[in-house]
Amino acid sequence: MRAGLLVTFAAMGVATYLTRAPLLLVLARRRLPAWLARYFAGLPIALLTALALPLLVFAPQGPRAWATDVPAAVLVALLARRTGHLLVAVAGGVVLVAALRALVG
Amino acid sequence: MSPDRFRPAPSSRAAAEAWAGIRDALTTVVPSIVAYGAVWGGLARQAGLSQRELVAMCLLVTAGTAQFVALPMLQAGAPAWLLVATTYVVNLRHYLMAASLAPYFAHLPRGRLAALAHGVTDESYALTMARFARQPAHPAYFAGAAGATYLAWYAGTAAGGLPGSRIPDPHRYGLDFVFPAVFIAILARSVRAPWQWAVAGAAAALALAVRAAVGGTWHIGVAGLAASALAVWLAPAGDPGVEPGPRAQGPAAGRPAPGEMAGGPPEPPG
Repeated sequence: MRAGLLVTFAAMGVATYLTRAPLLLVLARRRLPAWLARYFAGLPIALLTALALPLLVFAPQGPRAWATDVPAAVLVALLARRTGHLLVAVAGGVVLVAALRALVG
Repeated sequence: MSPDRFRPAPSSRAAAEAWAGIRDALTTVVPSIVAYGAVWGGLARQAGLSQRELVAMCLLVTAGTAQFVALPMLQAGAPAWLLVATTYVVNLRHYLMAASLAPYFAHLPRGRLAALAHGVTDESYALTMARFARQPAHPAYFAGAAGATYLAWYAGTAAGGLPGSRIPDPHRYGLDFVFPAVFIAILARSVRAPWQWAVAGAAAALALAVRAAVGGTWHIGVAGLAASALAVWLAPAGDPGVEPGPRAQGPAAGRPAPGEMAGGPPEPPG
């Protein structure tokens, strides 16, 4: 095992930890002003939207993936809304996307 | 007979919550994480890492996206400082995730917070925020979900790096679709109030625009940071999900905490 690589990996781990720990440590021990609490109420919605949509729109397969992935995403949203079950919604979407990809080729 | 008799002991509640986190991860994101781990393991061997080195990288770096970005850089002989700086930039979104998780862990001692910080990933964050919007927050749930996702990543990467293993194609079985599907399902369950739609709409527009213009992972941080500001103006002050929460209460408080996603009535757990 190359020692230089290990040191680099350890430094990368420190860089990762520096993005995870500071705000968790600081903000968990403070009483938040009401405006900041409202800001944090919006954060999960904004972050999950920003994580999800580009994965669909900018798929590595390009725009031809839209024909399979977008209908499956709509099904996931409908199932999640109707049933409230993550597993049911995600499984339904994966089955549909796999079937559509097999059909489209 | 005291009603306390029926209240689970803290240790058994923690175990139940940890198991719930593990179960939710196993039934949603874990199969895809294993598959993508195997892809990464195969690519890492192609990039010239030995099996021990790739395992060491996973154990030390603990960030899948950054590890995917690092492989072509390692292969091209990029300097160490550039690898470290890139890792930091790719992971900047974790600042926001950690910030919105923080109010749920207000009662925890500093050492436990420092340990939990290792578990902040896209998947553990998404599962945890979905859970905490419906159930009383408990750090053991987060620890369980994060632990399961990490073990899945380690198992997948180690298997993918073994001699003779072939790089799988997650796209063929729809496993690549699991990640957006989990995020979409959580949003579809949670977004109900007009202010939540406004935040989601702004985040969608910003994320797509920034992703198209800049590429990389900048869109997550920019959209998260900017679109959440709408909540400051639009979220009603009396909304129980956005009031300053149970700061001094324990994990069994049973009240919604700040950062709650759902504006409507609670629903059965998913």
